[in-house]
Amino acid sequence: MADTKEEWQRYQEALRRGDRAAAAEAFRRYQEAKRAEGKGRSRPTLVNLSTRAKAYPNAVPLDKIPDELERNPEFFELMRRIATKENS
Amino acid sequence: MPSTLTLADFDLATRSASGFFIRYVVPRVEPIHLYAMLARRTPFRLSAPQSDIIIGMGHGDIDAFTGQNEAIILAIGKYNPNEVEGKVIKLLSCQTGVSLGPDLVRNGAASFQGYTDDYVWVCDADLASTPWSDEMAATCLMPVVNSINALLDGKTSKEAFDTELAQYDCYAEIEEDELIKSCIEFNRMNAILLGNREAKVRPRPKIAFPFPPPPIILPLGA
Repeated sequence: MADTKEEWQRYQEALRRGDRAAAAEAFRRYQEAKRAEGKGRSRPTLVNLSTRAKAYPNAVPLDKIPDELERNPEFFELMRRIATKENS
Repeated sequence: MPSTLTLADFDLATRSASGFFIRYVVPRVEPIHLYAMLARRTPFRLSAPQSDIIIGMGHGDIDAFTGQNEAIILAIGKYNPNEVEGKVIKLLSCQTGVSLGPDLVRNGAASFQGYTDDYVWVCDADLASTPWSDEMAATCLMPVVNSINALLDGKTSKEAFDTELAQYDCYAEIEEDELIKSCIEFNRMNAILLGNREAKVRPRPKIAFPFPPPPIILPLGA
């Protein structure tokens, strides 16, 4: 298994390509690599302070991020901005 | 002049952030704390004109800042300029730096600090009763808290803003988790300071840490 840095790079590449399925799979592998390195934490959750007007939730447990990436284009776009620092 | 501190607390994001404010900012400011159910428009409208600093944490959008259960507190065209005139304003919220912040400055705010995109971080949902002990959340929230405390020390808006940016850099440099590191860098990239960079407020008394932690707060939804 690749280390977390390699898996994160694959995740960033998938986000840049706009490939939701590949990004979801890459994030799953990133999480697995983290657990393999003993870096898994209790209940980590990605949160934000946007209003309900947005089409994505304010709190997404990290293990649910791949599902959200696959089904929610707006969440995918947010993650793309976060992970690549590239504005749309 | 007192401070106006408005803190929403009704979901995991606002609980996590309000925990850090309760632990590290509340002990320094005078007792106008619009916390949880008080984080609403009417209490804000009454307290803000008397204050020299407005500190807010809640959900937001490009043109609005909200309090408890997303009740509108400040929205473009829906506030009286005397609520913001001459005030140093810091909003921890999503995207308020895009339109609301410039509008506040146009209506007389001395300075405005906010963010031009979503404010994001990773927190531990298991620590919702003691959110200030969350080391993952601290990587993003402590720079904000320390920036606010720099303002409360009497530093200029620019000095406080630079404090926040420098602390993001420090946390990002040592963070090993790629997602958390990305969140830190994303928030840093979107931080914005508008208005008079030399604006400052009356220094508040310092508190010495370790300061006793606040009591455990109720679980969300209790």
